[in-house]
Amino acid sequence: MAEHAIEMKDICKDFKVLNRHEGLKGSIRDLFSRDYKTVSAVKDISLTVERGEIIGYLGPNGAGKSTTIKMMTGVLEPTSGSITVNGRIPYKDRKANSENIGVVFGQRSQLWWSLPLIESFKLLRDIYMVPQKDYEDMIELYRSLVDIEPILHKPVRQMSLGQRTLSDILAAFLHDPAIVFLDEPTIGLDVSMKSKIRSLISGLNSEKNTTVILTTHDMGDVDALCKRIVIIDKGMKIYDNDIEHLKSYFGSYRTLKMRIGTDEWEEIVIDEKTTDIMDIIMKKQKEKKIRDIKIEEISTEEVIKKIYEGDAK
Amino acid sequence: MTKNKRCLSFYARIYRKILIQDLKSKMSYRADFIISTFGMVLTNIAGFMTFYILFRNFPSINGWDYYHMLFLYGFSLTALTPVQCLFDNNWNLRSMVYSGDFIKYCFRPINVFFYFISEVFDAKGLGQLAFGIGTLVYSWNRIGLPVTPLIILKLVACILTGSLFMIAIMNFAAATCFWIQGSGYVMVIMFRFKDYAKYPASIFSGIFKAVFTFVIPIAFVAYYPSLVILQPENIPLLSLLSPLLGILFFYLSYRFWMLGVRKYDFTGS
Ligand SMILES: Nc1ncnc2c1ncn2[C@@H]1O[C@H](COP(=O)(O)OP(=O)(O)O)[C@@H](O)[C@H]1O
Ligand SMILES: [Mg+2]
Repeated sequence: MAEHAIEMKDICKDFKVLNRHEGLKGSIRDLFSRDYKTVSAVKDISLTVERGEIIGYLGPNGAGKSTTIKMMTGVLEPTSGSITVNGRIPYKDRKANSENIGVVFGQRSQLWWSLPLIESFKLLRDIYMVPQKDYEDMIELYRSLVDIEPILHKPVRQMSLGQRTLSDILAAFLHDPAIVFLDEPTIGLDVSMKSKIRSLISGLNSEKNTTVILTTHDMGDVDALCKRIVIIDKGMKIYDNDIEHLKSYFGSYRTLKMRIGTDEWEEIVIDEKTTDIMDIIMKKQKEKKIRDIKIEEISTEEVIKKIYEGDAK
Repeated sequence: MTKNKRCLSFYARIYRKILIQDLKSKMSYRADFIISTFGMVLTNIAGFMTFYILFRNFPSINGWDYYHMLFLYGFSLTALTPVQCLFDNNWNLRSMVYSGDFIKYCFRPINVFFYFISEVFDAKGLGQLAFGIGTLVYSWNRIGLPVTPLIILKLVACILTGSLFMIAIMNFAAATCFWIQGSGYVMVIMFRFKDYAKYPASIFSGIFKAVFTFVIPIAFVAYYPSLVILQPENIPLLSLLSPLLGILFFYLSYRFWMLGVRKYDFTGS
């Protein structure tokens, strides 16, 4: 086994986008057209991921997160740079690479639509050639981490989005891969399903020492799962470190919450080094009656927002 | 890990398991299953009626009498069954490629074409198979062809040849979506051509005959391979070669399909 789970050096990915034309004639013309423009989705990203890490891979929409994951899984070839996943070059041997990874793209099920979940599991067991004993142990582990009985015999097409996502995550871990990629797995899920999924991921990671690359817009996921975060924006890496380090960078920041109306909380993020909290409260007090006040540490959510806005280097 | 551990028998086993599971789940939607099978039977009866009305009163076209025509009809129905039962997912390729859902087929350590095609089994085509075989048996009797193990073996090989050609045509048609946006019409047009499979190519004028032989090889779905059975004393070269050509053509269509996958930049997030 290779030393690092993933190693990327100066990876770039450009898409050539054809300026398309309408209709049958247009599409025939497009076949021979050289009318391209280039979109740089990923620019010069270097990244090393160690075994057993859970990495929060964050960034606004269109930042290049999914494109990075597609390169790591071997479905896209980088335009330049070098990449190894489990010591292999993923796009050179996509099949061998997929032997040892699991992938979930939120809201796109990869299971057999009409089959009960357990039948999908058995097919995956055969496809990945998982020994029966390991398969049974894994199902036992699943049972100990999450209540799978209600979904085990249900066809995927009859499942709710939450159950489907849960099933897809279980399926991604079934062959005990070294790395699992989760691209926005909690998108569109309710609070209780989110917390179920978080504890499942964290349980599987600690039991199996699986490396997890997680992209999400939900900072609850990050707080619950990730020690280290990598943030990219417009294809470039802008942050790569522990989440604690990030918070201490913003150590002098506080979130001031004031309740003005009956149920209406107003939130202001304040840097104590430059602004006095009392001043703000006094000023507000003169305008409106404040019913309640809370002062909190800055949340991960706000830290990330600050980074996107370019306040940290 | 060894390289060739996923051999042909591995794929056959996986395929059988998917098929059985899929059939089981289809049976559980019984009403759906019965209605769609019934619909297929009606379609076939209607198709047969049209054929009967058209040809019952023509004693012979280019040396083809009614029972020879019927044989060709049954042959084409049978040969067209695999493309409809087993390769139906090609119809979904285009929408999956554009929505980005196609990417899921690239995350497993198995052949992408196999994985994609094995996912859908369309049982409706089975009614057509029964109809086709019935027609074949009936016309076989009427023409007075002999029944020997060897000739049955030849018949099966010829029908499979016809199937390979139609499957390959549809593979080519479906895979155009990797290059051309809005390529849905390619598949629709190609699938329409299958209606010409049941006529002897000798009734077409020269240009059509050439097109259906060398460009869109519809004449290989039934006409050329069936001559092996119908004219055993005088088999044309193209008929003799048709099994080899079928395998080659299918292989090319598979390579074309896979080339599309390779060069396709996956969209969707
Ligand atoms: N197949 C593609 N063809 C052209 N442009 C693409 C393709 N895939 C992604 N892009 C572009 O690359 C950028 C990054 O996309 P993506 O990786 O999906 O972002 P994220 O997952 O962070 O939201 C976007 O601007 C997107 O439009
Ligand atoms: Mg994305």
